[in-house]
Amino acid sequence: MKTPRDILFARHQAAAPKLDAIRQSAVAAVCDRRISADGTDERRSQTAAPTILQTFWRELIFPCHRIWAGLATMWVLIFIINFSQRDNVSSVTGKPVRSGGAVMSLQAQQRLMNELLADRSMPPETDPPRNFSPKPRTETSETTTV
Amino acid sequence: MKMLEVAEPEQLPVPQARAGEPAAWDALFRRYQLPLYVYVFELIRDEQAGLDIVQETFIAAVRHIGGLREDNKFGSWLFGIAHQKCVQRWRKRKEILFDEIPETPDEFEDGPDDLLIRQEQETEFMNLLNQLPLPQRSVLLLHFVEEFSLEEIARITETQLGTVKSRLHYAKKSLRKLLEAKNENTA
Repeated sequence: MKTPRDILFARHQAAAPKLDAIRQSAVAAVCDRRISADGTDERRSQTAAPTILQTFWRELIFPCHRIWAGLATMWVLIFIINFSQRDNVSSVTGKPVRSGGAVMSLQAQQRLMNELLADRSMPPETDPPRNFSPKPRTETSETTTV
Repeated sequence: MKMLEVAEPEQLPVPQARAGEPAAWDALFRRYQLPLYVYVFELIRDEQAGLDIVQETFIAAVRHIGGLREDNKFGSWLFGIAHQKCVQRWRKRKEILFDEIPETPDEFEDGPDDLLIRQEQETEFMNLLNQLPLPQRSVLLLHFVEEFSLEEIARITETQLGTVKSRLHYAKKSLRKLLEAKNENTA
Protein backbone atom coordinates (compact mmCIF):
# COMPACT_ATOMS: atom_id res chain seq x y z
CA MET A 1 0.00 0.00 0.00
CA LYS A 2 1.24 3.47 -0.90
CA THR A 3 0.25 6.96 0.03
CA PRO A 4 -0.81 9.37 -2.75
CA ARG A 5 2.44 11.28 -2.21
CA ASP A 6 4.53 8.19 -2.85
CA ILE A 7 2.67 7.49 -6.05
CA LEU A 8 2.93 11.07 -7.28
CA PHE A 9 6.64 11.38 -6.51
CA ALA A 10 7.45 8.01 -8.07
CA ARG A 11 5.66 8.97 -11.28
CA HIS A 12 7.74 12.11 -11.71
CA GLN A 13 11.18 10.85 -10.72
CA ALA A 14 12.09 10.80 -14.42
CA ALA A 15 11.99 14.59 -14.46
CA ALA A 16 14.75 14.79 -11.83
CA PRO A 17 17.67 15.42 -14.27
CA LYS A 18 15.79 18.27 -15.92
CA LEU A 19 14.89 19.70 -12.54
CA ASP A 20 18.56 19.47 -11.51
CA ALA A 21 19.52 21.50 -14.57
CA ILE A 22 16.88 24.10 -13.73
CA ARG A 23 18.13 24.27 -10.16
CA GLN A 24 21.71 24.76 -11.31
CA SER A 25 20.73 27.58 -13.64
CA ALA A 26 18.73 29.24 -10.85
CA VAL A 27 21.69 28.96 -8.47
CA ALA A 28 23.91 30.43 -11.18
CA ALA A 29 21.48 33.33 -11.36
CA VAL A 30 21.89 33.76 -7.59
CA CYS A 31 25.68 33.90 -8.07
CA ASP A 32 25.30 36.53 -10.80
CA ARG A 33 23.00 38.51 -8.59
CA ARG A 34 25.49 38.36 -5.76
CA ILE A 35 28.32 39.53 -7.99
CA SER A 36 26.25 42.42 -9.26
CA ALA A 37 25.21 43.30 -5.69
CA ASP A 38 28.79 43.34 -4.37
CA GLY A 39 29.74 46.37 -6.40
CA THR A 40 33.47 45.76 -6.04
CA ASP A 41 33.90 43.37 -8.89
CA GLU A 42 34.89 44.81 -12.20
CA ARG A 43 32.44 42.52 -13.94
CA ARG A 44 29.61 44.17 -12.09
CA SER A 45 28.72 46.58 -14.84
CA GLN A 46 29.06 43.87 -17.47
CA THR A 47 26.65 41.53 -15.69
CA ALA A 48 24.28 44.23 -14.47
CA ALA A 49 23.60 45.68 -17.89
CA PRO A 50 22.18 42.48 -19.41
CA THR A 51 20.28 41.85 -16.19
CA ILE A 52 18.56 45.22 -16.46
CA LEU A 53 17.83 44.61 -20.11
CA GLN A 54 16.54 41.14 -19.36
CA THR A 55 14.38 42.48 -16.55
CA PHE A 56 13.07 45.22 -18.83
CA TRP A 57 12.31 42.66 -21.50
CA ARG A 58 10.78 40.11 -19.13
CA GLU A 59 8.62 42.48 -17.09
CA LEU A 60 7.65 45.22 -19.52
CA ILE A 61 7.86 43.92 -23.07
CA PHE A 62 7.33 40.17 -22.90
CA PRO A 63 4.05 40.01 -20.89
CA CYS A 64 2.27 42.06 -23.56
CA HIS A 65 4.56 41.43 -26.51
CA ARG A 66 1.66 41.22 -28.96
CA ILE A 67 0.47 44.69 -28.04
CA TRP A 68 4.00 46.08 -28.40
CA ALA A 69 4.39 44.36 -31.75
CA GLY A 70 1.05 45.80 -32.88
CA LEU A 71 2.06 49.29 -31.81
CA ALA A 72 5.40 48.97 -33.59
CA THR A 73 3.64 47.83 -36.76
CA MET A 74 1.24 50.76 -36.56
CA TRP A 75 4.13 53.20 -36.23
CA VAL A 76 5.97 51.68 -39.15
CA LEU A 77 2.79 51.93 -41.26
CA ILE A 78 2.28 55.55 -40.23
CA PHE A 79 5.86 56.40 -41.21
CA ILE A 80 5.54 54.61 -44.53
CA ILE A 81 2.27 56.39 -45.38
CA ASN A 82 3.70 59.72 -44.28
CA PHE A 83 6.83 59.39 -46.40
CA SER A 84 4.95 58.12 -49.44
CA GLN A 85 2.51 61.07 -49.28
CA ARG A 86 5.36 63.54 -48.95
CA ASP A 87 7.09 62.05 -51.98
CA ASN A 88 3.86 62.28 -54.03
CA VAL A 89 3.26 65.95 -53.23
CA SER A 90 6.80 67.03 -53.98
CA SER A 91 6.85 65.07 -57.22
CA VAL A 92 3.59 66.72 -58.38
CA THR A 93 4.57 70.36 -57.61
CA GLY A 94 8.31 70.07 -57.96
CA LYS A 95 8.62 72.47 -55.06
CA PRO A 96 8.62 72.03 -51.37
CA VAL A 97 5.14 72.38 -49.97
CA ARG A 98 4.40 75.36 -47.78
CA SER A 99 1.28 76.42 -46.00
CA GLY A 100 -0.88 79.28 -47.33
CA GLY A 101 -0.17 81.62 -44.42
CA ALA A 102 3.56 81.22 -44.77
CA VAL A 103 3.39 81.85 -48.50
CA MET A 104 1.35 85.03 -48.00
CA SER A 105 3.67 86.43 -45.37
CA LEU A 106 6.67 85.63 -47.55
CA GLN A 107 5.06 87.41 -50.48
CA ALA A 108 4.29 90.44 -48.33
CA GLN A 109 7.86 90.56 -47.07
CA GLN A 110 9.18 90.22 -50.61
CA ARG A 111 6.95 93.07 -51.80
CA LEU A 112 8.10 95.33 -48.99
CA MET A 113 11.71 94.50 -49.67
CA ASN A 114 11.28 95.32 -53.37
CA GLU A 115 9.71 98.68 -52.54
CA LEU A 116 12.50 99.60 -50.18
CA LEU A 117 15.19 98.60 -52.64
CA ALA A 118 13.45 100.46 -55.45
CA ASP A 119 13.30 103.69 -53.40
CA ARG A 120 16.98 103.55 -52.59
CA SER A 121 18.24 102.72 -56.04
CA MET A 122 16.10 105.33 -57.86
CA PRO A 123 18.40 108.21 -59.27
CA PRO A 124 17.39 111.89 -58.81
CA GLU A 125 16.38 112.46 -62.51
CA THR A 126 13.88 115.28 -61.95
CA ASP A 127 14.71 119.04 -61.71
CA PRO A 128 14.93 120.64 -58.39
CA PRO A 129 11.57 121.99 -57.31
CA ARG A 130 10.88 125.54 -58.30
CA ASN A 131 9.36 128.15 -56.15
CA PHE A 132 5.81 128.42 -57.22
CA SER A 133 4.02 131.74 -56.63
CA PRO A 134 0.44 131.68 -57.82
CA LYS A 135 -0.99 134.73 -59.41
CA PRO A 136 -4.16 136.31 -58.14
CA ARG A 137 -7.31 135.04 -59.76
CA THR A 138 -8.48 138.53 -60.71
CA GLU A 139 -5.30 139.13 -62.77
CA THR A 140 -5.79 136.09 -64.93
CA SER A 141 -9.37 137.00 -65.64
CA GLU A 142 -8.37 140.50 -66.80
CA THR A 143 -5.87 139.28 -69.36
CA THR A 144 -8.39 137.00 -70.94
CA THR A 145 -10.90 139.77 -71.34
CA VAL A 146 -8.33 142.06 -72.95
CA MET B 1 9.28 1.92 -1.79
CA LYS B 2 11.70 4.36 -0.25
CA MET B 3 9.95 7.32 1.32
CA LEU B 4 11.26 10.72 0.31
CA GLU B 5 12.48 12.71 3.22
CA VAL B 6 10.69 15.93 3.97
CA ALA B 7 12.83 18.33 5.94
CA GLU B 8 11.36 20.30 8.79
CA PRO B 9 10.81 23.97 7.92
CA GLU B 10 13.09 25.04 10.78
CA GLN B 11 16.04 23.21 9.20
CA LEU B 12 15.78 25.09 5.92
CA PRO B 13 18.55 27.64 5.36
CA VAL B 14 16.21 30.52 4.61
CA PRO B 15 18.20 33.22 6.50
CA GLN B 16 21.33 32.27 4.56
CA ALA B 17 19.33 32.39 1.34
CA ARG B 18 18.17 35.87 2.27
CA ALA B 19 21.83 36.81 2.58
CA GLY B 20 22.32 35.59 -0.99
CA GLU B 21 24.35 32.46 -0.34
CA PRO B 22 24.19 30.22 -3.41
CA ALA B 23 24.65 27.05 -1.33
CA ALA B 24 21.57 27.90 0.72
CA TRP B 25 19.52 28.47 -2.41
CA ASP B 26 20.79 25.20 -3.83
CA ALA B 27 19.60 23.36 -0.71
CA LEU B 28 16.20 25.05 -0.85
CA PHE B 29 15.70 24.38 -4.53
CA ARG B 30 16.85 20.77 -4.12
CA ARG B 31 14.32 20.34 -1.34
CA TYR B 32 11.37 21.74 -3.28
CA GLN B 33 12.09 21.03 -6.95
CA LEU B 34 10.27 17.72 -7.17
CA PRO B 35 7.22 18.56 -5.00
CA LEU B 36 6.83 21.80 -6.90
CA TYR B 37 7.07 20.07 -10.26
CA VAL B 38 4.60 17.37 -9.19
CA TYR B 39 2.11 20.01 -8.11
CA VAL B 40 2.48 22.12 -11.25
CA PHE B 41 2.51 19.20 -13.66
CA GLU B 42 -0.57 17.56 -12.16
CA LEU B 43 -2.42 20.87 -12.49
CA ILE B 44 -1.49 21.85 -16.01
CA ARG B 45 -0.65 18.42 -17.49
CA ASP B 46 2.19 19.70 -19.67
CA GLU B 47 5.79 18.67 -19.05
CA GLN B 48 7.56 21.60 -20.70
CA ALA B 49 5.18 24.16 -19.25
CA GLY B 50 5.65 22.54 -15.83
CA LEU B 51 9.43 22.82 -16.07
CA ASP B 52 9.13 26.42 -17.24
CA ILE B 53 6.91 27.31 -14.30
CA VAL B 54 9.32 25.67 -11.84
CA GLN B 55 12.18 27.71 -13.30
CA GLU B 56 10.17 30.94 -13.23
CA THR B 57 9.18 30.20 -9.64
CA PHE B 58 12.82 29.75 -8.60
CA ILE B 59 13.86 32.98 -10.29
CA ALA B 60 10.94 34.87 -8.73
CA ALA B 61 11.83 33.42 -5.31
CA VAL B 62 15.41 34.69 -5.60
CA ARG B 63 14.21 38.09 -6.68
CA HIS B 64 11.43 38.52 -4.12
CA ILE B 65 12.83 36.75 -1.07
CA GLY B 66 12.67 40.11 0.71
CA GLY B 67 8.87 39.85 0.61
CA LEU B 68 8.83 36.65 2.69
CA ARG B 69 7.79 37.63 6.22
CA GLU B 70 8.34 34.39 8.13
CA ASP B 71 11.17 32.04 7.32
CA ASN B 72 9.21 28.95 8.35
CA LYS B 73 6.59 29.76 5.69
CA PHE B 74 9.10 29.47 2.85
CA GLY B 75 7.48 26.31 1.44
CA SER B 76 3.96 27.68 1.24
CA TRP B 77 5.32 30.99 -0.07
CA LEU B 78 7.15 29.15 -2.88
CA PHE B 79 4.07 27.10 -3.74
CA GLY B 80 2.06 30.31 -3.71
CA ILE B 81 4.31 31.76 -6.42
CA ALA B 82 3.98 28.58 -8.49
CA HIS B 83 0.21 28.55 -8.01
CA GLN B 84 -0.05 32.14 -9.25
CA LYS B 85 1.92 31.23 -12.34
CA CYS B 86 -0.46 28.32 -12.98
CA VAL B 87 -3.42 30.69 -12.57
CA GLN B 88 -1.86 33.10 -15.08
CA ARG B 89 -1.50 30.22 -17.50
CA TRP B 90 -5.11 29.15 -17.01
CA ARG B 91 -6.27 32.70 -17.58
CA LYS B 92 -4.30 32.87 -20.81
CA ARG B 93 -5.92 29.64 -21.95
CA LYS B 94 -9.31 30.89 -20.68
CA GLU B 95 -9.91 27.76 -18.63
CA ILE B 96 -12.58 27.79 -15.97
CA LEU B 97 -10.85 28.24 -12.65
CA PHE B 98 -13.48 28.15 -10.01
CA ASP B 99 -16.51 26.08 -9.37
CA GLU B 100 -18.75 26.84 -6.48
CA ILE B 101 -19.22 24.23 -3.82
CA PRO B 102 -22.25 25.29 -1.85
CA GLU B 103 -21.81 24.02 1.66
CA THR B 104 -18.90 23.71 4.05
CA PRO B 105 -18.64 20.40 5.86
CA ASP B 106 -18.84 20.47 9.63
CA GLU B 107 -16.12 17.95 10.23
CA PHE B 108 -12.64 17.69 8.79
CA GLU B 109 -10.93 14.63 10.09
CA ASP B 110 -8.51 13.23 7.50
CA GLY B 111 -4.74 13.33 7.30
CA PRO B 112 -2.88 13.11 3.99
CA ASP B 113 -1.87 9.50 4.49
CA ASP B 114 -5.31 8.17 5.34
CA LEU B 115 -5.90 7.32 1.72
CA LEU B 116 -3.83 4.24 1.04
CA ILE B 117 -3.73 2.85 -2.44
CA ARG B 118 -2.84 -0.63 -3.58
CA GLN B 119 -0.25 -1.05 -6.30
CA GLU B 120 -2.79 -2.22 -8.87
CA GLN B 121 -4.89 0.89 -8.19
CA GLU B 122 -2.13 3.40 -8.87
CA THR B 123 -3.00 4.12 -12.48
CA GLU B 124 -6.64 4.27 -11.57
CA PHE B 125 -5.87 6.73 -8.78
CA MET B 126 -4.02 9.03 -11.18
CA ASN B 127 -6.86 8.89 -13.68
CA LEU B 128 -9.35 9.73 -10.96
CA LEU B 129 -7.18 12.59 -9.72
CA ASN B 130 -7.14 14.06 -13.20
CA GLN B 131 -10.91 13.86 -13.42
CA LEU B 132 -11.33 16.20 -10.46
CA PRO B 133 -12.10 19.86 -11.16
CA LEU B 134 -9.03 22.11 -11.06
CA PRO B 135 -9.72 23.85 -7.73
CA GLN B 136 -10.34 20.55 -5.96
CA ARG B 137 -7.31 18.97 -7.57
CA SER B 138 -5.15 21.91 -6.55
CA VAL B 139 -6.19 21.69 -2.91
CA LEU B 140 -5.84 17.92 -2.85
CA LEU B 141 -2.37 18.01 -4.39
CA LEU B 142 -1.14 20.57 -1.87
CA HIS B 143 -2.53 18.35 0.84
CA PHE B 144 -0.93 15.20 -0.54
CA VAL B 145 2.41 16.53 -1.76
CA GLU B 146 3.50 18.78 1.10
CA GLU B 147 0.98 18.11 3.84
CA PHE B 148 0.22 21.80 4.05
CA SER B 149 -2.26 22.88 6.69
CA LEU B 150 -5.64 24.24 5.63
CA GLU B 151 -4.51 27.76 6.50
CA GLU B 152 -1.42 27.38 4.34
CA ILE B 153 -3.45 25.99 1.44
CA ALA B 154 -5.85 28.92 1.77
CA ARG B 155 -2.88 31.30 1.62
CA ILE B 156 -1.32 29.54 -1.36
CA THR B 157 -4.53 29.43 -3.38
CA GLU B 158 -5.71 32.84 -2.10
CA THR B 159 -9.11 31.48 -1.09
CA GLN B 160 -11.18 31.45 2.07
CA LEU B 161 -10.45 28.82 4.68
CA GLY B 162 -14.02 27.52 4.46
CA THR B 163 -13.70 27.13 0.71
CA VAL B 164 -10.49 25.15 1.13
CA LYS B 165 -12.15 22.92 3.70
CA SER B 166 -15.09 22.18 1.48
CA ARG B 167 -12.96 21.63 -1.62
CA LEU B 168 -10.70 19.20 0.16
CA HIS B 169 -13.61 17.41 1.74
CA TYR B 170 -15.45 16.97 -1.54
CA ALA B 171 -12.30 16.07 -3.45
CA LYS B 172 -11.43 13.30 -1.01
CA LYS B 173 -14.99 12.15 -0.85
CA SER B 174 -15.34 11.90 -4.61
CA LEU B 175 -11.94 10.23 -4.93
CA ARG B 176 -12.81 7.68 -2.29
CA LYS B 177 -16.19 7.06 -3.87
CA LEU B 178 -14.65 6.51 -7.28
CA LEU B 179 -12.04 4.14 -5.87
CA GLU B 180 -14.71 2.18 -4.02
CA ALA B 181 -16.83 1.97 -7.13
CA LYS B 182 -13.86 0.67 -9.10
CA ASN B 183 -13.15 -1.89 -6.39
CA GLU B 184 -16.74 -3.11 -6.47
CA ASN B 185 -16.62 -3.38 -10.24
CA THR B 186 -13.40 -5.39 -10.19
CA ALA B 187 -14.69 -7.63 -7.38
